[in-house]
Amino acid sequence: MGTWRLITTWGAAPEFNMGLDEALLVTPGLPPTLRFYSWKPDTLSLGYFQKLSEVPGAERAGALVRRITGGGAIHHVRELTFSISADMSIDLYAGGLATSYGRVHAAIARALANFGVDAKLRGEASLASDRANTGMCFHHSTALDLTWDGRKGVGSAQRRKGGRVLHHGSIKLGTSPLEGDIASLESRRKSVAPSDLAPFLREALAAEIGAEFEASVPERDERELARELGQRYTAREFVNLR
Amino acid sequence: MRPDDRKYTTTHEWVKIDGDTALLGITDFAVQELSNGNTSDLVYCDLPEVGREVKAGQTFGEIESVKAVSDLNSPVSGQVVEINHTIEEHLEVLAKDPWTTGWMVKLKLSSKSVDGLMDAAAYEKFVADSKH
Repeated sequence: MGTWRLITTWGAAPEFNMGLDEALLVTPGLPPTLRFYSWKPDTLSLGYFQKLSEVPGAERAGALVRRITGGGAIHHVRELTFSISADMSIDLYAGGLATSYGRVHAAIARALANFGVDAKLRGEASLASDRANTGMCFHHSTALDLTWDGRKGVGSAQRRKGGRVLHHGSIKLGTSPLEGDIASLESRRKSVAPSDLAPFLREALAAEIGAEFEASVPERDERELARELGQRYTAREFVNLR
Repeated sequence: MRPDDRKYTTTHEWVKIDGDTALLGITDFAVQELSNGNTSDLVYCDLPEVGREVKAGQTFGEIESVKAVSDLNSPVSGQVVEINHTIEEHLEVLAKDPWTTGWMVKLKLSSKSVDGLMDAAAYEKFVADSKH
């Protein structure tokens, strides 16, 4: 049984959140790392290839960033955000993109079940949360997405670079005016904090990967690289890249 | 069997050298991995400007499927002399024919070194081994 790092940072700045994820992706040889985090201020993240103009109302969020992972825009508020950074060769990522999503989503579904939410893959179902022309991740679904109450409640995206993979995930604890009628844990329990759900996901992921997590903090060189890399994420030229 | 007139990378790009130029592209396995069999899952492809120097092992572009953004890594070093604009607008070409019409970039080679690249037989084995 291997040991993974676990880095938890509640209420961190968007530049730090994105910079640390990139630092953990691009630094060769780092052990697999699970991060749990939330955002301050609330932040709207664009998918890597999205145009800002494709997301009406984006400027209403407290901050704007462009992610290096794909997919649609997410309003990071009232959610548990997590990332998994590791070599592509680890068992979790073996067998291709869809298979790796299946493993991560199986762990999330187990965590949600233990929390009292029966989440299922969308499959061929149609969702009440699907909406056109908003650019929002939670308004666009695929067969691989996790749903409950007939709506999408988990957003996922990956970046594959230099033999390593960064998996981003967002699990909705509540909704926001930008995201509207989507699935969230609020339908089961009032006032869920990210730190309430995180231990459930930690336990489910440990079972999925057959590893233990060791609580950790970023090393000094990782913090410095995160700070350096993080600067571009809120920079106007990067947000308006497309 | 995949084409044996070119070399392959472990990140599923191919290079076909012809004199002092080379065509680069991605393999059918890469397309399948990214799209999960659904051509419409490929959504964006960013290719380099003509004139840009790329080095072996470095990124020359990026491709996005519905679920992931992946770097495109150059198997060889050289200067971009042509790009296949059709790809950027019609990603389905990659699924139909990644070997001929699905080429991405043409390079003028600064080195003809193909050290570390696989021939078709070695790539077949590499792909078979990675499907576990």
